[in-house]
Amino acid sequence: MKSMKKVLVLMLSLLLVVGMFGCSKDNDGSGKSTDGIDDSTNVKIGVLVADATGAEALAFRSYYENYIQKQYNVTFMYSDELADAAAEASAIDNFIANNCKAIISFASADRPAQIRKCAENKVYYAVATGTLSDEEYKEFKDNEYYVGAIGPDLYTEYLAGYNMAKYYLDQGKTKFAVFGGATPYYVDMHIYRTAGILVALCEAGGGNYNGASDMGSMIGTIYGMNCQLTPAVIGSVELVSYIGGYDFDDAWFGKLAEAANNPSVEVLLAVGSGLDTFAAFKKPNQFLGTVDAYTADAVKAMEAGTLNYLAGKFSASIGPIFMATLSAVQGKPIRTANGEALALSQGYWVATSADEAKNFYAVDSSTTDPAYTRAMLDTLFGASYDDFAKFVGAFSFEEIQNLKK
Amino acid sequence: MTKGKRLAGTIIIPVLVLIITNVICMSRGVTMFENSLNWLTFARAVANVSLVTFALSINLNSGRFDFSVGSIALLSSVFSATLAVNHELSPVVMLALSLLFGMLLGLASGLVYVTVKLPPMIVSLAVALFYEGMAYHFTKGHGVSFINNRELLDFASIPNYLIIIAVALIFMIIVFDHTTFGYEYKALQSGQKVSVNIGINEKKNTVICYAIAGLLMGAQGFVSSTTTGSIQMALNFGSIGPMFMAFLPMFIGGYIGRFSNDKLGYLLGAVSTSLISLLYVRLDVNSSVQQVVSALLLVGFLIFLNNENRIKNLFRKH
Repeated sequence: MKSMKKVLVLMLSLLLVVGMFGCSKDNDGSGKSTDGIDDSTNVKIGVLVADATGAEALAFRSYYENYIQKQYNVTFMYSDELADAAAEASAIDNFIANNCKAIISFASADRPAQIRKCAENKVYYAVATGTLSDEEYKEFKDNEYYVGAIGPDLYTEYLAGYNMAKYYLDQGKTKFAVFGGATPYYVDMHIYRTAGILVALCEAGGGNYNGASDMGSMIGTIYGMNCQLTPAVIGSVELVSYIGGYDFDDAWFGKLAEAANNPSVEVLLAVGSGLDTFAAFKKPNQFLGTVDAYTADAVKAMEAGTLNYLAGKFSASIGPIFMATLSAVQGKPIRTANGEALALSQGYWVATSADEAKNFYAVDSSTTDPAYTRAMLDTLFGASYDDFAKFVGAFSFEEIQNLKK
Repeated sequence: MTKGKRLAGTIIIPVLVLIITNVICMSRGVTMFENSLNWLTFARAVANVSLVTFALSINLNSGRFDFSVGSIALLSSVFSATLAVNHELSPVVMLALSLLFGMLLGLASGLVYVTVKLPPMIVSLAVALFYEGMAYHFTKGHGVSFINNRELLDFASIPNYLIIIAVALIFMIIVFDHTTFGYEYKALQSGQKVSVNIGINEKKNTVICYAIAGLLMGAQGFVSSTTTGSIQMALNFGSIGPMFMAFLPMFIGGYIGRFSNDKLGYLLGAVSTSLISLLYVRLDVNSSVQQVVSALLLVGFLIFLNNENRIKNLFRKH
């Protein structure tokens, strides 16, 4: 009986060892090498996501899985929807156990903890479509396993809100209803976009919002109000209604309907999810602007006149951070002259007509010829910081089309 | 119990809530029902809450905690909305499809429960995850959007909501109070072993309960999706949320049921909580305050139910 047990344990151990080698075995790629990229070895990259169902998140995932993964010898392992720092840590453990060489993060519950964990395990870490705070960057910029962050910085988020409101203010509109998205949950991205809208209203109306009228003071005011904003008359313009949060309960639907049905409201602005919030309640004589993703539904909404202004991140915007990560994994990290990690900002594509939205969406949703193709990304492998920054900085639709040529 | 006492017991909670909410509104210079939109918000809330309460009560009253009701609403509306959008179907057809899919999904959930014989809470959690995953897979995570389909969105009207509420109430009363199935359901509630011994098929009764709950959640999924014209995906039990809005009306309904029909009680419970929802809208109460108030009301009502006699005695002494 004892010997049987020993044989069984031995066999199981053997199976485990074989299994582990099997799992971690590098798949043979095509073997081709372009611009020094080693395509012969499969690189596993873990992707941390806090949102698995949003239109933007799905577009990003599609770009990685349906384009990048087919072009390069890489495998993306996606996490579940991560709700908190503990879930992030657990997902990183899982990636490390699965032999991931790098992690690209779309989750931000506790970025410092994510970076520390990756660095301890010698796994490269990069932030997609986001940035670190100044303090965080200072702490990790010299860490060799921290690749960097590329995405709209908070000033860009502020401008997204500011430009959206200004677009309508320039047309003489004065009565606004605003959906503040995740502002009540202290999400910086949405707070800055909301601040941008309010500052634009202050500038046009010649007034202030609870004493604030510029970016710095507006951010302070929003935090001072515990991110629970209220309607206000701002000089000659008016924030008639304000709704924040994603409660999806009857009171929330009621507030959205009340905001849209207020006869004086001319423009409905959403710092996110405008199509899922205001669109159904919007009156034909009102205008709707939102920061969101380029989707087939958004294009249809613009064609129908339901949506009139759309600022969206393009899905291929996460291409450069992938290439920076691959470069680091393959021994050619892209760092500043001082050896510091990347910290680059990208902006939005803004469509104010159905034709523009259609053009953007056609490129953005393509899995054969997306905004950033392999040929374009290959030029970034092991590139100098300046060349890399220049490439990322040319993010407008027109600039990218010119780069393609 | 005299007729007057029964009537008083039936209407006291909704009337009190109506008076208190109106007084609060008036004290802030706001009219609770100022325009037709306020009535629409109220009617929609009553429809949503009463449908979930009816659905949840069917199994909960028999000791079966069903976490899958929200996922049934999600998946049935995903199926029906997809068909409606792709084939340009009318709202009535979409509603019929929602009911059908909801009933089938509820039926499947019930069959799983009686087959695997695990505790209903565990089975319903598994079913919720499975249906959420199916909805995600079916829509590739994008959900369903019909914001440009005015015909479907225009279903959101007071008469339509009233019809749904009335039909649901009549259906519940007929099925549970005037059919053999309903009598067997009540018999099983009061004494399962005896009921089975006298020949009641408990498994059949249970499966039908799940199917009816699914049917009602199909209607709720339809009401909810036609409000915004989009169906958002939910993962990792994200669909459980709607279930919680039914607890307070269920307890209120249970209380009213002593004086009247318990189904009418659930509806009046839904009316009471919908009045509170409208109060939140009219006074623009932020969601964190809403949650605190709702939790306090639920706990307060449970404390009242548990200490009812003591409270009554307290008043009698004085």
